[in-house]
Amino acid sequence: MGKSSSSKRRAVIVGGVRTPFVKAFSEFTKIDTIGLGVAAVRGLLARTGLGHRDVEAIVWGGVILPSAAPNVAREIALDLRLDPGCEGMTLTRACASGLQAITTAVAAIEHGDADVIIAGGSDSTSNAELKLPQKVVHAMAPLALGKPTPADYLGVLSKLMPITDILPTKPKIAERTTGEVMGESAEKMARRNEISRQAQDELAVRSHLRAAAAIASGRFDDEVVAVETPERKWVHGDTLVRGDTSVEKLAKLRPAFAREGTLTAGNSSPLTDGAAAVLLMTEEKAKALGLTPKAAFRSWAYTGVDPADQLLMGPALAMPKALERAGLALSDVDLVDMHEAFAAQVLAVVKMLASPAFARARLGRDKAVGEIDPARFNVHGGSIALGHPFGATGARMVTTMANELVKTGKSTALLGICAAGGLGAAAVLERV
Amino acid sequence: MGDFLLDLSQNPQARRLIKSLGLPIPLPEKLKRDTGPLPARPLADLDVVVGGAASELTPVLAATLTAAGANPLLASPALASAFADPGQSFGRPAGELSALAEDKNVWGLVFDATSIDSVDGLRALYDFFHPVVGRIGRSGKVVVLGRPASPSDAPAVAAARTGLEGFVRSLAKEIGKRGATANLVTVEKGAEARVAGVLRFALSPRSAFVTGQPIPVSAKAKGGAEPAFVHALEKRVALVTGAARGIGYATAKLLAQEGAHVLCLDRPADDGPTSQLAREIGGTAVLVDITAPDAPAKIAEAIKAKGGVDIVVHNAGITRDKTLARMSEEQWDQALAVNLGAVVRINEAIEKQIRDGGRVVCLSSVAGIAGNVGQTNYSASKAALIGYVRSLADKLAGRGITVNAVAPGFIETRLTAAIPVAIREAGRRLSALGQGGLPDDVGAALTFLSSPAAQGITGATLRVCGGALIGA
Repeated sequence: MGKSSSSKRRAVIVGGVRTPFVKAFSEFTKIDTIGLGVAAVRGLLARTGLGHRDVEAIVWGGVILPSAAPNVAREIALDLRLDPGCEGMTLTRACASGLQAITTAVAAIEHGDADVIIAGGSDSTSNAELKLPQKVVHAMAPLALGKPTPADYLGVLSKLMPITDILPTKPKIAERTTGEVMGESAEKMARRNEISRQAQDELAVRSHLRAAAAIASGRFDDEVVAVETPERKWVHGDTLVRGDTSVEKLAKLRPAFAREGTLTAGNSSPLTDGAAAVLLMTEEKAKALGLTPKAAFRSWAYTGVDPADQLLMGPALAMPKALERAGLALSDVDLVDMHEAFAAQVLAVVKMLASPAFARARLGRDKAVGEIDPARFNVHGGSIALGHPFGATGARMVTTMANELVKTGKSTALLGICAAGGLGAAAVLERV
Repeated sequence: MGDFLLDLSQNPQARRLIKSLGLPIPLPEKLKRDTGPLPARPLADLDVVVGGAASELTPVLAATLTAAGANPLLASPALASAFADPGQSFGRPAGELSALAEDKNVWGLVFDATSIDSVDGLRALYDFFHPVVGRIGRSGKVVVLGRPASPSDAPAVAAARTGLEGFVRSLAKEIGKRGATANLVTVEKGAEARVAGVLRFALSPRSAFVTGQPIPVSAKAKGGAEPAFVHALEKRVALVTGAARGIGYATAKLLAQEGAHVLCLDRPADDGPTSQLAREIGGTAVLVDITAPDAPAKIAEAIKAKGGVDIVVHNAGITRDKTLARMSEEQWDQALAVNLGAVVRINEAIEKQIRDGGRVVCLSSVAGIAGNVGQTNYSASKAALIGYVRSLADKLAGRGITVNAVAPGFIETRLTAAIPVAIREAGRRLSALGQGGLPDDVGAALTFLSSPAAQGITGATLRVCGGALIGA
């Protein structure tokens, strides 16, 4: 699976677009994940000049799915009044959902299911639904179904005491099996892998400075479409990047997840609203439509680690696997792009990739996967600076790396993403 | 079956009162147990102090502790280099004992005494344990690693190696009131890698009631592949005799929990509970009177239907207590027939059906080691099994099959609940841990000996007796 070079049909990336990434509960508060997806896909169609009949399917990734309409992909197609035959599926693989949507689409194209697919993802943390406890749901059943009598109402009331049991629960990014909030897991990883606060803050600053430089130079202009909010306000660019930050400034922040901890709001990715979409098609179709292929997938790999151990270590296993499937060594790839959930997690993974001991004990290899040169790592910043709308991040990374290969003339890029549940995702892109 | 003192000791006010009044009432510590499926990291986030000289065992120790999730704290800088790589691989960098906060207890102490081969060398035990023994937490674990003394050792070497046993037995008694255990693991040359599974058991709550004894690890039974520690008995078939209740019941459930298909054997009269158990754990009920002449053939047939057997637990047993002078012929014969005769006959009939790498475990008893008034028949049969497993182990070693016995001490069961109160109290309290064990404690030991992790243990008798003062 995932080795495109061996199959006859090859899916290529011809374009990618995203909305600006903005802080949750700010500009995009009144746009739900479907609305964000609509904005990204509309932008992608406009930029690539595709018509409403050209797209055969949408594959979409999301983490916080709207319970009333969880198939976001289909809703996007319907809202955009694409051809009714443009089918849609929505999937979730936590923070790797966007990448999963794209590789699923690639596999479908290469399998012959479709010629043209839009794949991407979105999330609106601002529109996370408050969940009523199951106790309330079960107690309310007689009222919701059938014709309740006054006695039924009283019966329900008596079942709902004490009141504290029935308050809606605050949504939080906690592991179902361990109950641990993701930041707590990352905090443990920092301690167990001996990642200092200083190193984390330095990575965060680099992420911000590089992202700010990319924005200032217009590097993201091709990739970001302006979005109009229901309040008639236009949002043209990312709002979370701070070009004026410094290690000194970040050093003043208080630990966010443990009293003596090293993780802060400054070296963690923020809660973000946004969407990103990528246009995929066969090489023949691209030629027929007069579009220029940018990149293709050479391989991908998904894997998992025990979430109770080191929740976000997945990429340290997935990245070597993707490289192996691509027939490449880490030193062969020109660019490495990793999702920055937390600086501590990124640094722990980078450290393990460089560790011969880890390679021997965990990968069954003699030699370390390799050192990553900071000059080719997250060259335009990452999720800490840009933000992390869960489902969108994978598509953002694929877009930026595909464009980077074209702009620099380099040939390969390695992607790595960690995700809830201990999942790890990775892919190797190559220029076409 | 309630243990009043154990309940009382759970009450902080009562505890304080008894202590401040200086009442001579023992307050046993409620033992930390774990009866769920075997976890991948049984020592997750537990602090384990490691001391002793660096040896061939240090790399195994480092890899085992870090992979099992422990945070190693080194008592000597000489050990640091062996811990560096595994510590990094598993995100468990070794710390220094001296850096641990004064008021903080630790879960485990592991002391590598394999280099001790002189009388003066024993001093290292004092030097390591004296400052840290007070810091062992509740239900904590001590493991001393030594070499077995052999007749070919120089006398002083043999003395030093055997001395470790006495040390551990006494230490077990000293720390037992905290619910903590101490055991000696003797590692034969060439069997170092097999210590991993034994350490996981001896350092985890699985060995809650195993204390004050040597556990021999050898390279005797063939087999080499690294054992699985979780779902360890997947795709394996186990036979448990006397499965309807008590220890057999607990063991069948634990074996099934690790993935084994369990043939639950009991008397036809116990059809009800046996079949219910088999249904519950997805096993097969086998209703056979093990003393019947056709029993071996019937059992062999049940095994054949499953294509072979990997684990045989001879648990069925009876007591026919009477002092020898008053004992009838039938009482003598029945006890020996069920406890010993059936075991030997069944084993002989099914030996070829036991697959390579298999396990045979017999239920012995501390009574077989120490003797009891009114139990000449029972003790004879239970002691016989100790010799039986020792010999059978040699015979089956070439096929990678291990043969061991488990000797329970005072276990809270239907049988012991019927003992007169004074004798029952003596049985409970006259032990390092000051309380009775549970059927699950014996089941955990049987399950451990049935697992691939115990490849290094064969021909041995593991006591599950809470450090009973008799019978060590």
